[in-house]
Amino acid sequence: MALNNNKSKRALLSGSALALIGTMLTPAAIQAADGESVLKEKCLACHTQTGDPEAPYSRISQQRKTPEGWHMTINRMQRLNGLYITAEEKQAVIKFLSDTQGLAPSETAPFRYVLEQKPNVVEEVDPAYVEMCARCHSNARFGLQRRTLEEWQLHVNSHMAINPTTELHALARDRSWYDIAYNDTAPKLAMDYAFNDPAWKQWQKMAKPELAGRWSVAGYMPGKGDYSATMTVTETANDQFSVTIAGHYADGTPLQGSGSAKSFAGYEWRASLTVDGVKMRQVLAAAEDGSSMTGRMFRSAHDEIGGELKAMQGTAVVALSPSAIKQGQTQEITIIGSGLKGSVSLGAGVQVVKVLSRSADRVVVLAKASGSATTGMRDVRVGNSKAAAQLAVYDHVARVDVTPNESIARIGGNGGKLPKVQSHYRALAYSAGADGKPGTDDDMRLGYMPALWSLQPFDEAAAHENDLKYAGTIDGNGIFTPGDAGLNPERKYSTNNVGNLKVVAQVLDGDNAVEGEAHLLVTVPVFIKRAIQ
Amino acid sequence: MKHLKSFNKKAKMLDQATSPNEVEEVVAMQSVVGCTSTNDPGWEVDPFGGLGSLCQPMESDLYGCADACWWPAQVPDTMSQYPNWSQDVSKADQDWRKLDGIFPEEEK
Repeated sequence: MALNNNKSKRALLSGSALALIGTMLTPAAIQAADGESVLKEKCLACHTQTGDPEAPYSRISQQRKTPEGWHMTINRMQRLNGLYITAEEKQAVIKFLSDTQGLAPSETAPFRYVLEQKPNVVEEVDPAYVEMCARCHSNARFGLQRRTLEEWQLHVNSHMAINPTTELHALARDRSWYDIAYNDTAPKLAMDYAFNDPAWKQWQKMAKPELAGRWSVAGYMPGKGDYSATMTVTETANDQFSVTIAGHYADGTPLQGSGSAKSFAGYEWRASLTVDGVKMRQVLAAAEDGSSMTGRMFRSAHDEIGGELKAMQGTAVVALSPSAIKQGQTQEITIIGSGLKGSVSLGAGVQVVKVLSRSADRVVVLAKASGSATTGMRDVRVGNSKAAAQLAVYDHVARVDVTPNESIARIGGNGGKLPKVQSHYRALAYSAGADGKPGTDDDMRLGYMPALWSLQPFDEAAAHENDLKYAGTIDGNGIFTPGDAGLNPERKYSTNNVGNLKVVAQVLDGDNAVEGEAHLLVTVPVFIKRAIQ
Repeated sequence: MKHLKSFNKKAKMLDQATSPNEVEEVVAMQSVVGCTSTNDPGWEVDPFGGLGSLCQPMESDLYGCADACWWPAQVPDTMSQYPNWSQDVSKADQDWRKLDGIFPEEEK
């Protein structure tokens, strides 16, 4: 799991390198050296060697990026600068640069959603960037890069060269866009996303997490629900792994899959798996202490269909499904974790009526909350396990949030080359908390609950244009499928099957029905999709 | 501006935003990652968080804007980066099914 730093790399390239080969070279060092050899062969056709051992290559050594970021850079070099590079060579360079000029865990933490391809994220962006960068890109696109001031300024110039109409868009043509970008925005980027941030140097020195082993996994997949599984990871070559995953969805349906994975910068986990016949990808980050990996698993061909995944090592309760029980109610609860041995405790006022089934990573119990159990969160334990998940005991569902609250789906299909982009919703329930008022800070999160799903026009214009008829449909699992691509002669001006809709979830709580809603724009396809949007 | 009268729907919507600052506030309020609203018109969402100010159907005027890098993060521009993207599709409103996307990052 060694991660080369610049010092060891330079040592290998010095006069004593030959003596080291075959004796002290670790597999990691061999791969890193391969990546650097390819870089020298392919990239130095245009880039130059600076003579500075701290920053040996022009333009390249002044930047740090994620694996996806470096991948996009090399793609651009192929597209615009005539680079010819094989897939294997490309992978070697990405690996080398991600390991030696990558981002530390703390640097990627605020923007993991974009690496995870999580759809429908709304960012809060610094006003200084909203108009200058974030009106075309995500905050994550530039927030996951580290450059020197000169490199940020050259980045502005690249935009002007490649996309000269940038200056003519709304929010650009009314101001001196280039001057602001070069003289104000670039220096701010160089401060906020600094090349020399000590976090990276510190991370390079640290011992890296061990990724091989047995992981207890809990996750969610749209249309299928919560799942629990054991993921077995074996290192096949340096930072390359074979992966098997086996477990169950909450309804007992088996989950089975296998594939391979790579790691970058000591903690970035990228896996390609086939799970129950469907190609999936995992984008996870290992915790610095190696105790967990968290991120998202999603369909390779439809990355909008996926859900959170948490993998843990050691004995722990990782998740509960469902994660709430109503006073006086009797229901099944699935406890997901690892090393689950011993008696089950659900906390005060909640009785385990019967253990329905159990294995080391999944215990299904019939639970009963007494009518007088106080409302609040309970630690759930199995034997001596750590309680990393809590059970909510509640009186009433008082509020339902639909997640995501702002969302996009895209028309597609209909014989065209671009697929429909679906959107998926979950109903997140809360009780009112001590003040009895929903929508206040003391609301208690009960977790996701089943809901009845429906659509409405978002506003009068949408009702007038009959968007509901054309824009798409939602199923019982909260999955929205948009309408067909192309011109629709039935609509005024042959408008596409776009629409402005409201997604409504109705959660039944005894005799009450509590509703929540979200905004959905069903819109046109996107023809360009980057690894980092 | 007081002597000009809003003529179409888009102009009326822009009138609703009484100052440039207000337009910027509206833009800042909705920014689902990956969407562009400010290219005037935006590609998939307008500055008001809806669809009313977009070109529709999008195929009708696709090349008129995309060729000039108008939505460079959403639609291939034939000026700089993807000169051959639409070369076999002279009329997008008739042959839109032939238009392909640019997804090079998938080769992992």
